[in-house]
Amino acid sequence: MSKSLQKQTTASGFILPSIHALPPFFTLQLHPPSQASQTAHWTRLILSYARHRRLFTLRLEDAEVPGGEWDEIFHNSRINRRLKPTHLAFLLSTMVEQGQAIWDPPKQNRVVLLHWRLPEEWAEVLHEWATSTGQLNTILTFYEITDPPIDSAMSGIPTSLLRRAISILSKTGRAQIIEGAEGGGVRFFAPSGKP
Amino acid sequence: MGSGPSTPKITAQDRAILDLKLQRDKIKQYQRRIQGILDREHEIAKTCLAQGHKDKALLALRRRKYQETVLSKTDGQLQTLEELVSTIEFSLVEQAVLHGLKQGNAVLAEIHKEMNIESVEKLLGETQDAIAYQREIDEMLSNVITNDDEEAVQQELLELQREAIAQEEPDVRVSLPTAPTEEPVHQPQEEVPAEREPERRPERVALEA
Repeated sequence: MSKSLQKQTTASGFILPSIHALPPFFTLQLHPPSQASQTAHWTRLILSYARHRRLFTLRLEDAEVPGGEWDEIFHNSRINRRLKPTHLAFLLSTMVEQGQAIWDPPKQNRVVLLHWRLPEEWAEVLHEWATSTGQLNTILTFYEITDPPIDSAMSGIPTSLLRRAISILSKTGRAQIIEGAEGGGVRFFAPSGKP
Repeated sequence: MGSGPSTPKITAQDRAILDLKLQRDKIKQYQRRIQGILDREHEIAKTCLAQGHKDKALLALRRRKYQETVLSKTDGQLQTLEELVSTIEFSLVEQAVLHGLKQGNAVLAEIHKEMNIESVEKLLGETQDAIAYQREIDEMLSNVITNDDEEAVQQELLELQREAIAQEEPDVRVSLPTAPTEEPVHQPQEEVPAEREPERRPERVALEA
């Protein structure tokens, strides 16, 4: 009995919380305080797993169809429990309400973009990356940023999130979007230094 | 905050560079696709061989070979494009350097207007004249003082000398010994110690060797 409550590590090196080994965790609780606690645990688990594997998108079908990226946490084979799609749908809408995710594309409720890092934080990371690689004042394409030949802090970021981060930077004069004929580009600037 | 755009305007040059880079990205994406096809055909060939379909495997390998040639062609195009992008960016840097030089030159020219060679020469000449004039004055003053006081100083010196001699004369007479009246006699001294020393020296020499 105590064995199953030890912290398990997944194949990808993620340490699962001990609550993940309890069968009730995979059943949507109806008692409001229990439900609130359970939801908090699940959202925290989802966001930290996404951060660990750099997953940006969570789809309803990740609970509907096995064998996806999220199997390590949505399916616990040791206790033979799986997160139900209805439960996931509830979690998705809760996360959107709490600002931890957004529907992406908008106006649907099957796919979210996870904010395991807020757009404002992404903006800082982005500017820091541009500064440290000596790429200020040069024109970059979105593709260069999201798919660099060598993995960087920005690899894999979805374009929509990238655009949001850039628009946050442009409000403080640290970036400028340039629309090209077949794609987007951006130019970063050093902070103007005005207090 | 509302003082106008703080970022520089986007010029047609900027758009051209962006489009060039977008083209480069497209080629890179195309290359990735080709690489995917290569890998897939490789897998197909392996599976066909495992199933015993040698001819199908051969076909897959031929397709793969063709894609490889396509890939190497795009490599060449990609390199050309990347060189072009790099050249443009470098020439932008050169342009910035030139601009900096121009501005520096303009500032220097402004300073030179105020500080031209003629006025500096004039200033230096005036300074030299003033220094020379001051030297003349100093000399004149020092000459005047010397002529007046030189005689007085000489007089004082003579006075001091006379006083000194007058004080010393009574003590100067030292009692000298009387001159000898008979021949001095040489007294023989002990010569043994003198003889001993040369005996010791050879001993020392032997030891040292």
